[in-house]
Amino acid sequence: MRIIPQIETPVSENYINFEENLIKLIDEIKKTELSNIDTGQNLPQIIIEQNFGVNGLLLCKDLKDKYGNVNIAYAFNMRDKNRISILSDLITLKQIGIKDIIASEGLHPLKTVFNAAKPVYDLDILGLGLILKRGFMNYLEHIPGKDTQDFFNLGAVVALSSAVDGLKIKKLINIGADRFIINYTGKNLDEDIINYIKSEKKEVILLVKESYIGNSLENFIRENVNLNLDGIIIKILDEKTNVFTRQ
Amino acid sequence: MFLTEKKDIKEIDEALNKYKKVGIIGCASCASVCLTGGSKEVREMEKHLKDSGKEVTFTISIDEPCDKRVLREDIRFVEDEMKNTEAVVVLSCGTGVQTIGEFIGKKTVSGTDSKYIAQTEHIGEYNALCGGCDECRLNFTGGVCTITLCPKGLLNGPCEGHNGINCEVYEDKECVFVKSYELMTKYSEEENLLKIFNPRDYGLSVKRTKI
Ligand code: SF4
Ligand code: SF4
Repeated sequence: MRIIPQIETPVSENYINFEENLIKLIDEIKKTELSNIDTGQNLPQIIIEQNFGVNGLLLCKDLKDKYGNVNIAYAFNMRDKNRISILSDLITLKQIGIKDIIASEGLHPLKTVFNAAKPVYDLDILGLGLILKRGFMNYLEHIPGKDTQDFFNLGAVVALSSAVDGLKIKKLINIGADRFIINYTGKNLDEDIINYIKSEKKEVILLVKESYIGNSLENFIRENVNLNLDGIIIKILDEKTNVFTRQ
Repeated sequence: MFLTEKKDIKEIDEALNKYKKVGIIGCASCASVCLTGGSKEVREMEKHLKDSGKEVTFTISIDEPCDKRVLREDIRFVEDEMKNTEAVVVLSCGTGVQTIGEFIGKKTVSGTDSKYIAQTEHIGEYNALCGGCDECRLNFTGGVCTITLCPKGLLNGPCEGHNGINCEVYEDKECVFVKSYELMTKYSEEENLLKIFNPRDYGLSVKRTKI
């Protein structure tokens, strides 16, 4: 099970300092006891999330150029981009060699400081999956065809609190999603759905906000170790001071 | 019904600033039901304009000013007064305002803000249930519109933010996908449970507007 920090791109900090701190954080994590349980070789080591900070693609490219051996995933949401913009990002990600993408629907602007902003939702995650895995938009001649469909590992962020989540997960499996990132809300998770996802040979990863963890990350991991998870993503707010550095 | 709300009267006064002789047209259909353009509101507007020093040349309520056929017939009742009119205040939705503006070829001032296609709970309490998306999906969702009732307008299932019952955005309301699931189960629509909707074709909504 791999433990993966996820962080939004910085708003005010210089991105070069931010990158240096991230690399230090990854090295720190390797030195802690967490490395004993960290066997998720195919999973990313760090997730860069695009919200309204510095451009995440720029950050991913720069991290790749400077620290080539770091395995990065790019997380984005359906709120901010239409299908044209997403396609542009996918083409860029392919060129800089990032295969792991994590897509969420995203927090509605009404729940943010940008409450007058128009949310996009041109596609939902299923719509993104149709582009990636079923060649929706292949009618555009200049878009790479089949190889693009196989290139990305699509991680879909989902809830797991009602039967209707199970249906959405099934639909996502039907279109070829590779990973399921379960948004942790503190409630008990439906183990049947987790086992169903695993039986379909897909990865299951828990996405946990730092605030849910309390003082001990190891305790949290121990409490959830029976869930047959492939990884836990911890969403941190600060790359210098966070639940990893406090271990 | 298409829901409208009364505009701030200051905006109407400012739009009429340059005009002295003003007519008033109400809508006896939707705007009358939501109390923004019925005969009472027309009379109130008449009083306000007179009190502000305007000469009100005519008042009329038209059954459906958005229907050119009806408008053509009814406007004849004020044909003579219209000649002596510089501007018209229209108490209807934006479609009515534009239909009248195009027809009379004079300055037309909207007296309402247009909202949405509304279900009426009581007068003053309305719900938006349909956004007119061009390709109705109600036959596949148990009969509830996820495009309109989900603040994110999702098609294929709930976002990651609901809590099993309630919506992430409107925390006192049920997530529409939870409702949709209940209804599909109630009507034994197993064939729809795993239906995948393609992304919406937004080209359709542009094509309906011909200028
Ligand atoms: S799917 Fe919803 S928005 Fe579209 S036509 Fe049907 S009710 Fe209206
Ligand atoms: S909780 Fe349900 S209704 Fe609310 S935004 Fe998410 S999917 Fe839409």
